[in-house]
Amino acid sequence: MTDWVDVGPAAELEEAGRIVARVGGREVGVVRDPADGSVWGIRNRCPHHGGPLCLGRVREREAGVPGRYELSGRRILRCPWHGWEFDLETGRCLDEPSLRAAVYPARVADGRVTLLV
Amino acid sequence: MIDCDVHPQIGDADELLAYIEPAQREWFASQVFFGLPGYPWAHPSSWYRQDLETRNGIPGGDAASVARELLDPSGTEIGVLNADDAITVSLMPSPYRAAAFARAHNDWIRERWLDADPRLRGGILVPAQDPSAAAAEIRRVAEDERFVHVVLVGGSERPYGEPRYLPIFEAAAECGLPVAIHSGGEGLGISAPPGGAGPVTFYIEWHTLGSACSIMAHLVSLLVHGTFERLPTLRVLLMEGGIAWLPGILWRLDTNWRGLRSEVPWLDRKPSEAAREHVRFSTQPLEHTDGEDALLFEMLEAAGAPQILCFASDYPHWDFDDPAFMLRRLPEAWREPVLHGNAEAFYGARLGLTRA
Repeated sequence: MTDWVDVGPAAELEEAGRIVARVGGREVGVVRDPADGSVWGIRNRCPHHGGPLCLGRVREREAGVPGRYELSGRRILRCPWHGWEFDLETGRCLDEPSLRAAVYPARVADGRVTLLV
Repeated sequence: MIDCDVHPQIGDADELLAYIEPAQREWFASQVFFGLPGYPWAHPSSWYRQDLETRNGIPGGDAASVARELLDPSGTEIGVLNADDAITVSLMPSPYRAAAFARAHNDWIRERWLDADPRLRGGILVPAQDPSAAAAEIRRVAEDERFVHVVLVGGSERPYGEPRYLPIFEAAAECGLPVAIHSGGEGLGISAPPGGAGPVTFYIEWHTLGSACSIMAHLVSLLVHGTFERLPTLRVLLMEGGIAWLPGILWRLDTNWRGLRSEVPWLDRKPSEAAREHVRFSTQPLEHTDGEDALLFEMLEAAGAPQILCFASDYPHWDFDDPAFMLRRLPEAWREPVLHGNAEAFYGARLGLTRA
């Protein structure tokens, strides 16, 4: 059974770029993409070493051909511990597909951040 | 059996000098050993198998010696000649002398060795300090199909993935030739010091670290620069740098790539996957394991063995691997691919086996 759970004020998310809460014994969070203000719910535990995933940066992943740097157009969450990159929609580690963090729908409404868990 | 690493010695200096262009011949004749950079670290007794040394000559000084001492007794079908001390040509300060010497050495190999024994194949010597000249030499020599790869020396100014070296790899790929990077020369002439911690003291250090570290550096460099993404048909053979370290360095590189890929974002798969696809390793010197061979082979399997391994004897050096000994030491299922099949697939039609 899933419910929308209130995890905190929207102002905090906007200022810090993230908001973390404990829901049902798990630490979950919502991260905000500074580029477009979109919000993403994801478990605050990196499946690699257990780092606080939501404290990482939301940024655009690089691409390119040898010797030339380009931007991929793909927004990712980079774990603050080892820098492994995670897809915000699927929670999949892009460079180690055997690892995945749980993701949850998130939304901001009426000054509050809620998460469907 | 295919032996990827046979070292032709220059038994008669005058014979080689005759292949140097006339305007440079006197310079080469008046230098100590053709002006090639010498080793500050020398083997304490001999670089060679001492049972093969003669009073007046060095072993392996002509095609007949190689046939008598290596090819005939071991039943070797193909032996690939990689320049011996001459591979340090790329470390000479003058690219002009280096180009002349490489050219002469290639012509000497063709006429004095390949013409003398149909089992022999050649590695193309190039002046890597001048990559465009090296590329021109590859294209010139590659017309003779008995030359089956390009030879680069482990000692270098910078690792070979650097874009300055691209013309060499482009020419090789264009000619359908693999590039063999053979350890040696680390710390000589214009190359970087061996080992990465400053100049070493002893030959035992140089031989343990210099050759392994340079081969590791070239492997990692070629992978992270995306050389195989640029040149999808390129194949590379890494020679005489040891192999027990291979699983570890690939695991390490893959781990770093996951966290540091933004630096090399053109790599969209684990670097070890490109290594498995494009890179082969010569067996010699296969590390002695104090009875732990099973462990060694299990680790090497994690890096893609036996498919990635090609037999090499390193005749006539002191640290060579005897073909019969290698046959006994390898796991039974590895023997055919390592001693023959992998090299045949790696070199392809150019090896000439299908034309017989």
